Formats: sequence, C-alpha cells, structure tokens
Amino acid sequence: MQDANQLSGDLEFQRGIGQQGSSPHEVPSLPVGQWLRKNLFSNWGNSLLTLLGSFLALLALRGVLNFVFSENREWDAVRTNLRALMTLSYPESQYIRVWVSLGFVAGLAGLSAGLWANWGGVSVKRLSTWLMGSGGLLAVCVIVREPSVILGSDGKVVRTVDGSPQRESFLDAMVDRSSWWIAAAVLLALGTLLWGRFTSPDRRGVEVSVTSVVFVSLGLALLSLWVAPYGHYAFISETKSYVAESGRTVAFSTKLPWTVMLALLCGFFYLGRILRRSDYAGIIKGASNLLWLISPLTLFWVVLRDPALDYGHVMSTDLPMGLAFGFLGGAVLWSLTRPGVGEAGRLVATMLLGFAIFNWVAAFFGWYPMLQKARISFLLLAIAALLAPNFIGEIAKRRQLVLSWLGVTALVHYLATMINTPSTVELQSSEFLGGLGLTLFVALIVVLLSFPLGVLLALGRTSKFPIFRMLSTSYIEVIRGVPLISVLIFFSVMVPLFLPDGMELAELAAVLTGYTLFSAAYLAENVRGGLQSITKGQYEAADAIGLTAAQRTGFIVLPQALTVSIPQLVGQVISTFKETSLLAIIGLFDFLRVANSVIPAQSEFLGVKREGILLVAMIYFFFNFTISKYSQRLERRVGLGER
Amino acid sequence: MASSAPQSIHHERPPLYRDVTVVKWVVQVVALLLTIGALWFLAKQAGDNLRASNVPTDYDFLSVNPGIDLSSGIDTDPDTGGRALWVGMVNTLRMAIAGIFVATIIGVLVGLARLSNNWLLRKLGTVFVETLRNVPLLVQILFYGAIFASLDRVSMDVGPINGWLHISNKGLSMPRVHIADGFYQWMIVIGIGLFAANFLRKRRIAQQDLSGEETYPILSAFGLIVVIGILGWFVHPIFGFVGNIFNSLSSVVSAIPEGVLQIVLALLSVALSGYWIRGFLNSRRTPAGLAKLTDDDYFRMIFAGTGGVVGAVFFLFLWPGLSSWMINSGTDLFEVLSNKFGNGRSGRPIDVALPDVVQVGKFPNYGPSGLNFSIGFAAVFFGVVFYTAAFIAEIVRGGILAVPKGQTEAASALGLRRSTALRRVVIPQAARVMLPPLGNQYLNLTKNTSLAIAVGYSDIVQVGQTVYNQTGKTLPVVSIWMFFYLSCSLSISVIVNFFNVRMRIVER
Amino acid sequence: MSIDDATTVANDRLADREDMIVCVDVDKFYGDFQALKGVTATIKEGEVAVVCGPSGSGKSTWIRCINRLEVHQGGDIVVDGIELTNDLRNIEKIRSEVGMVFQQFNLFPHLTVLDNITLAPIWVRKKPRAEAEAMARSLLDRVGIPEQAEKFPGQLSGGQQQRVAIARSLAMEPRVMLFDEPTSALDPEMIKEVLDVMKELARSGITMMVVTHEMGFAREVADRIMFMEGGEIVEVGTPEHFFTNPTEDRTKLFLSQIL
Repeated sequence: MQDANQLSGDLEFQRGIGQQGSSPHEVPSLPVGQWLRKNLFSNWGNSLLTLLGSFLALLALRGVLNFVFSENREWDAVRTNLRALMTLSYPESQYIRVWVSLGFVAGLAGLSAGLWANWGGVSVKRLSTWLMGSGGLLAVCVIVREPSVILGSDGKVVRTVDGSPQRESFLDAMVDRSSWWIAAAVLLALGTLLWGRFTSPDRRGVEVSVTSVVFVSLGLALLSLWVAPYGHYAFISETKSYVAESGRTVAFSTKLPWTVMLALLCGFFYLGRILRRSDYAGIIKGASNLLWLISPLTLFWVVLRDPALDYGHVMSTDLPMGLAFGFLGGAVLWSLTRPGVGEAGRLVATMLLGFAIFNWVAAFFGWYPMLQKARISFLLLAIAALLAPNFIGEIAKRRQLVLSWLGVTALVHYLATMINTPSTVELQSSEFLGGLGLTLFVALIVVLLSFPLGVLLALGRTSKFPIFRMLSTSYIEVIRGVPLISVLIFFSVMVPLFLPDGMELAELAAVLTGYTLFSAAYLAENVRGGLQSITKGQYEAADAIGLTAAQRTGFIVLPQALTVSIPQLVGQVISTFKETSLLAIIGLFDFLRVANSVIPAQSEFLGVKREGILLVAMIYFFFNFTISKYSQRLERRVGLGER
Repeated sequence: MASSAPQSIHHERPPLYRDVTVVKWVVQVVALLLTIGALWFLAKQAGDNLRASNVPTDYDFLSVNPGIDLSSGIDTDPDTGGRALWVGMVNTLRMAIAGIFVATIIGVLVGLARLSNNWLLRKLGTVFVETLRNVPLLVQILFYGAIFASLDRVSMDVGPINGWLHISNKGLSMPRVHIADGFYQWMIVIGIGLFAANFLRKRRIAQQDLSGEETYPILSAFGLIVVIGILGWFVHPIFGFVGNIFNSLSSVVSAIPEGVLQIVLALLSVALSGYWIRGFLNSRRTPAGLAKLTDDDYFRMIFAGTGGVVGAVFFLFLWPGLSSWMINSGTDLFEVLSNKFGNGRSGRPIDVALPDVVQVGKFPNYGPSGLNFSIGFAAVFFGVVFYTAAFIAEIVRGGILAVPKGQTEAASALGLRRSTALRRVVIPQAARVMLPPLGNQYLNLTKNTSLAIAVGYSDIVQVGQTVYNQTGKTLPVVSIWMFFYLSCSLSISVIVNFFNVRMRIVER
Repeated sequence: MSIDDATTVANDRLADREDMIVCVDVDKFYGDFQALKGVTATIKEGEVAVVCGPSGSGKSTWIRCINRLEVHQGGDIVVDGIELTNDLRNIEKIRSEVGMVFQQFNLFPHLTVLDNITLAPIWVRKKPRAEAEAMARSLLDRVGIPEQAEKFPGQLSGGQQQRVAIARSLAMEPRVMLFDEPTSALDPEMIKEVLDVMKELARSGITMMVVTHEMGFAREVADRIMFMEGGEIVEVGTPEHFFTNPTEDRTKLFLSQIL
C-alpha cells in the first residue's frame, strides 16, 4: 500500500511538472534553498543526476563556446558576406528597394499587431528571474570558456614546442574578460533589485506588457548597432566574383535603416492600438488582412523588380483590356445576379467555365494565341459567375459582387502587366532574388498556394463520393510516401519534358509547383484532422435548413475545421519553411547555398563553411522558435477563451 | 378516407440531370476519366519529348555497366546500374534501420528527462528538443559534415585505438560483424527454434494459469532459442538440401507458359470483381431475402464489374510483358535463394573482421575489411538521429501526459504495485497514443535519409542521380525511387498498424 | 384496422384539410437490419402528430427520412404534394418547407445566435440582411430570449440553445416542423421552457411532427399519437383514446412502463 501511495505521489508530481511546463506563469515561489532541494536534490538519485547533468551541460557549453570563439573561426567570412546571404547579388545601388519592402512589412506587422494582438503581460518577478538567469549564464560562460591564445608581436599565434597554440593563464583570461564580468554583474544586480522589490505579496502581480518588453529588447539591440562596430568589411561584387573590401562596417551601413524599421514597427503598432477602438476597426482590420495577402506579391514583383513600364503598350493594350474585363465582366455579373435569373444563370456560368477551360487547353496545344492575362481573367470571371447565384437579391449584395470583381480584375491586371515588363534592376544571376529573400519568398508562396489545394484534397478525402475519396487518398499517400527531394528533382528535371513544344517554365516556377503539390498533401492531412472533428449533427443541421453542399462546406464545415487545425497548420508552415533549405540541393541560391557553396569558394575564405552554416541555423531557429512559441501562446489563449 | 389518398401517388422518374444518384456518379466518373486522361496526356507528351531528344525510357541501364564509383556501401564499384541502385537501397535501409534504433533510444531518454522531477534535466531536455527541431535537418547535416571534414587526416597509425577503432577525416572505421557462409542454413535452425520457443511459451503460460505458480514463460522461451541457436551453430550444414527445393521451384516457375499466366491474371481480375460484387450483395442481404438495392448500389456494382473487365483487357492485350516479367523475376528469385541455401556452405554463420588501413599510391586510406562509416554517413546519421530524436521525445512526453491521472489513481486504489501499474496500466495506454505518430516519425526518418545527397553519401537518391546523369534515364530512375520509398512507407505502416491493432485488443 | 378508425376519430377538426405528409409503405434498411417496415401514415395540414415508442423502434429514422437526412429504400413519401425522390429540385423544395429540430440542438458554434438564424434566410431564401435580422430578432422574441442575439451558442444553457434551434428552423418559414426528441438532452428544469415554446407553436397552426417521450405534452397538444415499435406503427389514436383505452397489448405495456 505504501508503494501504491508512493506511485500516485510520483505521478502526481510528474503531472504537476507537465502542467507547470505548459503554464506561462511558472514562477518558483519557494525560498532559494528549498527550491533547490525540491527540484535538484530531493534524494540521492536526484542529486547524482543533477551533478551528472551539470557536468554534461558545462562540457557542452564549453564545447560550443570554444567552437564559436576559437582562434580558428573566420567570422569575417560571414560578416563580409552578410549582403550575399540576405539577397545574393541584388545591386547595392538599388538596396533602397529592399529597405522599402522591409519597412512596408514592418509597418504592416506593427499595424496588425496593434489591431489584433492581445498578448497580455509578464510579471516583473518573472522578468527578474530571467535577468538573473541570463546574468548567471553569462558568468558561467565567461568562466568555462578556455583561455584565449596569446598573439605575438607579429600578430600571429604563439605556439609551444609541439605546435599547439599557447594560451593565457586562467587568471589572466578572467581579467581580460572584465567587460563581460561587468555585464553579468549588471544583469544579476538588476534582476536581484527587481526581485527584491516585487516579491512582497501586494506587488507580486505587477506586470509589464509583453509588447513593451519586446520593443525595449529590440531597442537595446538597435542601440548596440549604433555603439558597437560590428564587422570590418563590406561586401561588393564585381562581374561574378566576390571580393571583400575593408574600410566600412556593416553596422555603419545598416544602423539608420534598422532604426527606421523599428520606428515604423512601433509607430504603426500604437496607431493600430488607437484605430482598434475607433468605429472603423472592422474595415481597417479587413484592409490590413487584404494587404497581407497582396503585399508580398506586389513587393516582390513590383518594388523589388522595378519594372520599366512601356507606356505606349500600357495605353494601347493593357489598360483597355483591363477596363474591358472589369466593366464588361461586371455587367455580366450584374445581370447574372438579377432576381429571377433562374436556370439561365447557371447555363451562362457553365458555358463561361467551358470557354475558360478551353482557352487553357488551346494554350497547351498552341491552337490560337491569347494573352495569358486574358485566359486568367476568363477563368476568374467563370468562377465569379459560378458564385453569382449566392449574390442574387438586394442591390447591396449585387454591388458587393461587382465591386469585388472590379478590385480583383484591377489587381490581377496590374500585377500581370508588371510581371511581364522587363526589370530595370541589373543582376548578375538569373533569378533576381537569392539568399534569405528567396527562402522567404518560396516559403510564403508555397504556403499560400498549397493552402487551397490542401483544403480541396482534404475535402476530397473525407467526401462521401468514393471515387473522389480514392483519387485524393492515393494522391496524398503517394506524395507523403516519397521524400521531398525526389519530388523537387523530378520537377526541376522532368517538367520541361511534360510540356508541349513552345511552352516553357522557369526553373523556379517548376520547383515552386513541385513544392506546392508536395506541401498540399501534408496540409490536407492536417485539415482532414479538423474535418473529422466536425460532428455529423453539424452536417445534418446545415442540410435541414436547406443549405447547398457548397454553402454547407463554406459556412459551416470549413470555418470550424480550420479553427480546430490551427496548431497543426502552424506546424506545417514551420516545416515548409524549414524544408525550403532543400532548394540548395537542386541548384537555387538560397542562403544555405550561399553559406555552404558560395562563401567557401571565395578566394579569401576558401573552405570556410561552418561559420556561415551556423548563422543560417541561427536565423532558421529564430524564425521557427518565434512562430512556434507564438502559436503555443495563441493556442492557450483560445483554449482559455473556450472554457 | 385518409388512407385512400396515398394510393393516388403517381411515380415519375426525375430527369437525369436532376437525379441525385446519376449526378453523383456521373460527376465522379467524369473526374476519374479527366484524371486518367490528363495523366495519359502528360505521359504521352513526355514520351514524345524524350523520343525527340533521343532519350529512350527503358530500363536497359540496369544491366549495363554505369562506370561509376560509390563512396560507400557493400560494393563501391558496381558492375551494373541495377547493382549500383541496389547498393544505394542497402545504404538507405542500413541508415534508416540504424537511425530508427538509435533515435528511439535517445528520444525516449530525452522525453523522460523532460518529465523528470529534476529541474536541470528538464531544462536540458527542453534545450535539446527546441534547438534541434527548429533548425532544418539539411542545415544540421551540412554542419556535421563540415565539422567531420575538418578532423585530422588519416595516417597508418591513426587512432584512437589503432587496429580496432579509427577516426579521421575519412570517417569512422571499426570491427565488422558480418554474415558469413553458413548464415542462411543457420537461420533455418533459428526459425525452428522460434517456433519451438513460441510453443514452449504458450505451454508455460497454460501451466501458470492452471497452477498459479510463476513459470517464467518468456525467460524459458528465450533460453530455448539461445540453446537451439548454439546447437545450430554446429549442425546447420545439414540443411543444405533446402537449396535443392528452391532450385526445383525455380525450374517449375520458368516452365510456366506466358500465355497461361496472362489468362490467369485476366481471370483473376474478373474473379476479384465478381467476388467483390457477391460480397456486396451478401452484405445487403437481410434475413427476409435481398434488401432493396438503391441506385447507388447498382452504380457501385457496375463500376466494380467494369473495373474487373478493364483489368482483364489490360493484362491480356495492353501489357503482355507483365507476365514474362513476373516469370523471369520469379525464376531469378528462387535461383538466388537456392544459391544462398545451397549445399557446400559449411562455414560459420557469422564472422568478425578487424578494420585496417592500407596505402594504395600516395595516401593511406581505410581498407575494405572493417566496418567503415564515411563522413557522409556520419553526418547524415547524426543529423537524422538527433533531429528525429527531438520529435520522438515530444511524442513520448505527450503520450505519457495523455494518460489520465485517474488511471494511476485507480491502479493504486486496486493495490497494484508501482511497477505493475506502470507496466499494465500506464505504458499500454501511453503506447496507444504514441504509436501512430511514432510510426510517422520512422517514416520521416527513412525519407530524410535522402538528404544524404547533400554530403555525398551513396544512398538511393544520390546513386540514382549519378546514374541518370551518366545515362540520361531520368524517368526510370525516378520511378525506381518512388517504388522504393513507397514500399518502405507501406512496410512501416503495415508494421505500425499491426502493433496498433494489437494494442487496441489489449485495451479492450 | 385501427389506423383507419383512429385517423377518422382524430380528423374531426382536420377532416377538410389538405394532406401535408403522406407516407406509404416506407422501408428503410441499415445493412441487413430493417429499421422501417412498411410505415404508412398521413398527416394533415395544421395537425400536431406525436410519435412515441421505445428506443430503437424506428421513430427517429422515420422522421429523418421525411426531409431526407436518411434515404428511404422502399415506399413513397410525399410532403405538401411534392414527392421525395432522387430529384434534386424536389429535395431542395422539401428541405426549405420542412424545418427540423434535433435532440443535440446542432447549433453552429462558430456563429452568433443571430447569424445562426439569419444564415439560411440570407443564403437560401435570398433575403436582404436587414430584413432577415429583423425577422430573426422577432423570432428570438417569440421563443423568449431576445437578449441573447449577439452571444455564441456555447454561452447559452441547453434550453436556450434548443429555443434558438427552433427559431433557426422557423426563420425559413417552414410549413412543417419536425422535432426529433427535442427535450431528451436537456436538464429537467429546462424542459418546460422548450415545451412552452412548442405548445405556442402548436397553437399557431403549423404542422408539427414530434418524436418525444413527454407524455404530458402529447396529452395536451397532440391531435394524434402514433405508437411505433420494431419499425412499424402499432397504434394510432387521439390522446384520449391512446391514454385511456389503448387497444394493442404492446401499447399498454409501453404506457405502463413510462407512466
């Protein structure tokens, strides 16, 4: 019986840990001595584990520090090539475009955060433990790192007889690192001060908002750019070779733009906060969502590419065509939503769809020429016509449909015109973006495109139509059974073979297609989980009030299913982002490829790989960790809201 | 009165385009035809393009010397393309199996550490998991590869234990335990041993149930296998006759005429659809005779029947080569088996070889006798193992936390001992939650070994790429990849499902 | 025998009304289990018919066949002169004329109460939003919860949810309302508020078919009570006939068990 009690006690404790681990407000409320005894030295076995664990941890920490700060590391390789890592060979003279894009995104992010976010606060007590923890960790790091090598008068490493470098004595090393000691001491002191002031019961609950913590940390990082001279080189490229030139620091060239970025972020955040309370909050929220959808495309193809518009062509072809589609299509839609249009509406929509599909088939065989823009517009018009029966009725609803049609037409034609216009930016490589820019772009496009496809596949797989189920299931399972790299190779090598004569697809487009098709299969599985959680009663209720199958899916099933599968969808976004690294294998210059192949091929940094890869790893980690933490927080808040 | 009204209903069949069942099936059949049509069109297009560029899509390269060297594997200088791909497959499987084994151990340990009541262990576990799963696997593999490449050069007196364990920029070399001459005969003995042991275990359990005494069924069965295995070490050559059986099987298969096999396949296809239709009709049968069949049911049966006939036509006329392929490969399979099990293989079943360093030309290198892990292998291995271990750790943690607290309370209320409660109550339930995602991770690990291409380890993708670069036969190579990986994922899901079903039975 | 007699008795008030729901020899199979065995009945316009019987007797299956949530395999169902066949248009028409209230409410948890009610009028009946919302509010008023319009279903009690579900069905202005055990999932103290709404509905003259175990409700408002067992209608009659003078032994047994 005693055993049994012990067991239940143990498991209870385990459970407590699980909950503690997942709770955001895990604050040790015991005195330090008791806390240590309870969490580290509760019994002999535990003490042994603690000792062993700290030994291993110190060893690992020492290994990492020695690796990072070793005299053999050539961090200059990374510093010099920062620009290549971010945007490959984007011309320096046009860099303002990159900053404008980034600034736009920063402003939009700030605005959205201000409009939507409700991150709550973090208690000062918790903050103080963080400060103390990082101070302590810093101090430990300073101690465990091996002493530095001694540089002789010629600037070279002094070596002992057997060739290994001679190092300072431990004491000298500690004295040399006095600035680090001071930093650690400041952190510890600050933490202790706050801890002391905010442990009294009445001030325990004092919180600061998460946003101010984030902004202050960003501000401190920015401040360090202004005061510390990071890097001693700037990257310039001449005719396909990479040359390092000394004289200017990276900090020097980027501190001003970064300040602007932070200002935009904060400024728009507080603007969003104000607008949130205004009467137009709904409209502004919708507008910001719309901007999120279209701005990546616009920034990528218009701002970064800087298309050189041929106004003659615009006036003679593009503009009239856009206007024609907008207004004639609008007129068609207006008449299709007339009350009492009846079966004729469906007939017209079906005929339009047939015509639109026929246009694509004809394009495939090259029967007659037609601008791609026109084909896309006809297809969109057919889809709008199919949706039209839902908008039959009052004037306001019909106007809504026609106005949306006008907006979509304007946007599509604008983008298509811009994409088809040659770029004025002079580039050394075939793709005009590389490095981190390419990685982000591919991840974004794949996530956006695979979403509708994945939802369709999931619907097919859960459909009650056996053939649809069979087709979707076999597609999903085949794709999930093979590795991404084989799909990417297949698409980059094979797609040209599948296309008829005269049709071409850029390699990036082929790879994007393959990656999207791949990602959609995984996304479908995540959505399927959500779909399966919808009870049969929801379907029956929707049928009983007379909704059509499409309305049932759009209004009842999908909104609930997608909400349920948000955590899995975020996980899918993260893994899509991670797997973008595979682009490096199939010959696109993403930033991993720059770190792994481009930098080690430069004459100054022959074979220098590890530093660049480490930086790439850190950037990936930063993005993924932030997204996953945010989604966990979101999940918890949604979960709390439900209860 | 009221009941007279119903008789006046006159039935009318709705027009086809408004009939739910017709619309439903027409839409589906059209979708199916469109899909098949699109695939057929793409295939035809690709075929035309390949012919136009003079790249035939046959599989001849499988039996032609590709002229490539592989960095590692059971045969680094394969004499046919097929052999090269086979080496790649073996490398992939070797990596996957070893990786699954090690990743599971590390993952379970880290997962338990994250649940420990020791604060430090918990934090270390968290750091491990968060770091590894948020950095792309490829970045990790390249990083490990870059580190291993900077190790010391190999020399004749390479350490750390010269002659036993070598670590250098050429990778790791250690003693190899390998299958020797008599292995297959010995496996027959082991098979018999397994059979006997299972019998013994069941008897022991029956005894225990009867008498209530502890009879150690698992332990005694295990002991029996060991005894039989040791015995078999000496007597296995007597099973040489099995080779002859396979030999005669091989000649039987080769004697089957192609036409007969074609007809059999066609009949099989028709019979299968007939069988399905019969089963379907039976499932609709009620005690009072056949239940009313809906239009849907008729469509289903028509569809199944059409499928059977289409299959028969396919086997008879469209793809007659299939039967000769089946006969040839069947013959080959049994021939290989007869070789492996044949007489005259009387050596030890298992042998050990020590690693060596040889100097051919200017530079010393690892010799072929030890078990050599190239840098590529080590990089991919550490990469996939740590990466997968991080995910497995999360699965283990989630699985254990998913067992409701009431379960352990109930167990302790029954007076079960701690170990019994864990073994009989907590672990079975946690395992049920953990198994499906665990299977997924094993599958991911297997697929992730394909990243070996980035560090030049000869897995199937890397070998395949080399082969198609040499021969230009991209499509056949890609089809072999697909086939290989799909078989792997199918096997893993079959295994996982098997355990899953067993778990469910345990639960009930 | 009894069916003709009983309907005659019941139909004094309703004798000259139109037939609203006509079922003839309706069969329904689940695999090899026959859930409905030749169910034949006629329900007149404005009639309130209560269907009762032990669980598994097929009463829910029958009511669900009437708006084709289940597909019947034999016999005919005609609602308001429209035959329920494979015809898409007929199914559409019948569903928009027949409202249904479920045991588990089946409100849409991601929509507010108001959106739950206005969804079908706006998208199926193509009503202007303002008009639909005005009607929704008046319906909420009618079922007694006008103040809950902006809340989500999860924030309401079971009784309130079921009343919203009734309002949602009424918003389609149906000619027939089907109730599938509307009070079975409710706590006892909430049953009355739902029954009150249903009584008010019954008095308003809408055709109602109610599967329920609430015998008090049946006695008070039903024009006819149908007793089902084993997939068949065993006995039909007025409440008076049914409660005081049942003819069939199975009916007597059932009544003795639940009363």
